[in-house]
Amino acid sequence: MKILEEYAEESAQQVVDAASTRWGGAGLDAEVRHHKSGMKRPYVFINCPKNHWRAVAKWLRFEMGADHCSMITGTHWPEGSDEKKWEVVVHLMRMNVINPPERGGWTEQVIRDPSILQDNDVPMEFEISISIPDTRNPTVQSVQEVWMGADWNEKETWDLVGIEFEGHQGMRRVLQPHDTPVGFHPLQKEHKIRYHDSEIMYDDPQGFGRKPADDGKVK
Amino acid sequence: MSDETQNYAVFNSQALIDTVGDSASAGLEASRLKKFISVLGGRFFNWGQRKSLFPLHLGIKCCALEMAAAGGSRFDAERFGVFFRSSPRQCDVMLVNGPISKKFADPIVRLWEQMPEPKWCIAMGECAISGGPYYQSYNILEGVDTIIPVDVYIPGCPPRPEALIDGFQHLRKKIMRIGTTPSTVRDDDAPIIVGDQ
Amino acid sequence: MGPQHPMTHGLWTLKVKVDGETVVDTVPDLGYIHRGVEKICESRDFTKITTYCDRLCYASANTWAHSYIYAAEDLLEVEVPARAEHIRVIAVELQRIASHLMWLGAFCPDIGNLTAFVWCLREREMMMDLLQELGGSRLHYNFPRIGGVKRDLPIGFAMRARAKLNLFLDRIQETEQMLDESTVFLVRTQGVGYAKPEEMVNHGVTGPNVRAGGVNYDIRWAHPYSVYDELDWDVSVERPSIKGADCYDRYRVRVDEMRQSARMCLDALDKMPGGAETHYSEGDPMILTKARERAEEGKTGFHHFEDSRGESMFYLAGGGEQRGKHPYRISIRSPMFITIPYAARCMIGHKVADIPAIMGSFDPCIGETDR
Repeated sequence: MKILEEYAEESAQQVVDAASTRWGGAGLDAEVRHHKSGMKRPYVFINCPKNHWRAVAKWLRFEMGADHCSMITGTHWPEGSDEKKWEVVVHLMRMNVINPPERGGWTEQVIRDPSILQDNDVPMEFEISISIPDTRNPTVQSVQEVWMGADWNEKETWDLVGIEFEGHQGMRRVLQPHDTPVGFHPLQKEHKIRYHDSEIMYDDPQGFGRKPADDGKVK
Repeated sequence: MSDETQNYAVFNSQALIDTVGDSASAGLEASRLKKFISVLGGRFFNWGQRKSLFPLHLGIKCCALEMAAAGGSRFDAERFGVFFRSSPRQCDVMLVNGPISKKFADPIVRLWEQMPEPKWCIAMGECAISGGPYYQSYNILEGVDTIIPVDVYIPGCPPRPEALIDGFQHLRKKIMRIGTTPSTVRDDDAPIIVGDQ
Repeated sequence: MGPQHPMTHGLWTLKVKVDGETVVDTVPDLGYIHRGVEKICESRDFTKITTYCDRLCYASANTWAHSYIYAAEDLLEVEVPARAEHIRVIAVELQRIASHLMWLGAFCPDIGNLTAFVWCLREREMMMDLLQELGGSRLHYNFPRIGGVKRDLPIGFAMRARAKLNLFLDRIQETEQMLDESTVFLVRTQGVGYAKPEEMVNHGVTGPNVRAGGVNYDIRWAHPYSVYDELDWDVSVERPSIKGADCYDRYRVRVDEMRQSARMCLDALDKMPGGAETHYSEGDPMILTKARERAEEGKTGFHHFEDSRGESMFYLAGGGEQRGKHPYRISIRSPMFITIPYAARCMIGHKVADIPAIMGSFDPCIGETDR
């Protein structure tokens, strides 16, 4: 049950070569990296410039077959270099999952034998890093229409980190309460956790104010 | 007679109840039976209440799995009369088994208020007692006792199902002791922490 | 269907718009136990974060702790001895069995079968006893450590594990037989909640839900980690109908996964380097102090892990003032966070009475959803 390492390396190198040819001029860096521990297969790391993100995403999805958007997350680097004050990190996977084919009223299972997978059939991990320079309102293009799975990931990133996604329909708070103050994004580095050099985050520290309509009511 | 304001009752039942009640009460007091019946009745109700505590089917976080395991066949809690109900209107005990976030603070107070008196609250697990490992979080209250009066605290992360059953036992002893005082006037009675006795 | 509801298996709200008895639109509302774990873990040592990861998804605590540990070892560039990898596989697969049993024990009462609840909890107690021997506690073990595991297999563990797993394989057959012969169960789960694999993967749903759709994709062979490529196991795949995988397929996949996990545990016990009896070997006590220089800014570690519910992923970024001691950013990918909106979409067109079956068959665990 083993994907052969040579095939995986080859496949990763193919992706990197294709990326450099296609997008090298636009400032995109791609390389094959290896995990230091844990996963035994290489992965593709791409450093994507901010304004080409949606085009690169479409290329990855349709040409390179990265059909699964695993996670879109963001980091705030207040002490980082000037080009990298905010970073959006996207993890994709190439799973090559297809609907099972129909044969006369029944479906057939899609069973893949790991040892014969080659080239674009090899499952691959992608890590894409998008650096955003210093700004009060970091924005990045949304890839909601490329992968449906990006939808809730982007909502969560906006909710917790504060990075906005242009073109995202229906952005709302998903993890924090709906009445959180606008502009409060806890994972930014200026907010500290309670009892740790803490400044009061906003003026209801315990945050359990009951709705005024329900005051004094016994249900 | 077609007078619409006429009361069609055969007799005025309120007057009947008052008369019968007064005379019965006087008669019972005279034979010292009233006190006997009221004490016996009170003891019977107290016994009924503590022997069949119906907790609310509320599973917040990990301690809910231990609550479910306590209802399973190994640590059977039903043999103690503990039967989980889904509707808060039919419950006596609210078993808070997880951290309370700001979003859930309002619903949990509503659930508490929907439960009819007499009611008790058990805080199960560290998160409900004091915020637990998340006491520094921006979204978690430091304990459910900031919003609801708690009667028994069961420490543990998560407490074993045997500890939960022990907590119910402590609650039963407390009910035996304080009777059925409404939850709003129970402040001077210190809540029990399981493991201290 | 509000936060306190017997169907929801956790604390979340599902706002359902109905037209008579048919569901027209659904909106899930999450965040009732959002604890801000990602923020808290930015000021915790690498070893202390394992306790938080246990509590992320409480039904399958070990899988989440291991998922974090692999990512942390990737960041800190630490190697793990082979024996520890085998012990980790045993812990993870036992936990997967326990998690699926909890799922089955919670799913069947929704369908109406209360017997399965008691039977599954009884099997789960067996697994939890084994995990208690390994990890020390019933529910949150804090079992893996950076560079290995907490402690070696206890004396007699192999004998007890083999006995209990073989007993489990008999008993799961009994439970499966009861459910497969129950007309109510079959009628309520077959033909309900169709989902096709391509759409699922596009939405980000992975794991047993996709395997129920007929594709044998599993991270354990696709992106191999630990010793899964040396163990003898098969991927559990179902053969769905043309319309997609229904609830019955998802149930079958999970029962088969339990069997494969048991098989993996028994195999790992046989193939353990050093034998399955206790074998004390010196670890490296200075492993974390050496790691302090490694996790500087620019270094990242991530790991995709096959969790009982799908693909969970941890992303750790090093840097900041406390490099080497605390992670600068820890980001957690929860499979259920993405699956719940998808499952809510699957319900559209079905009746209100099908909502518990569909929701339950996707195996929600809200602890990991609202980190």
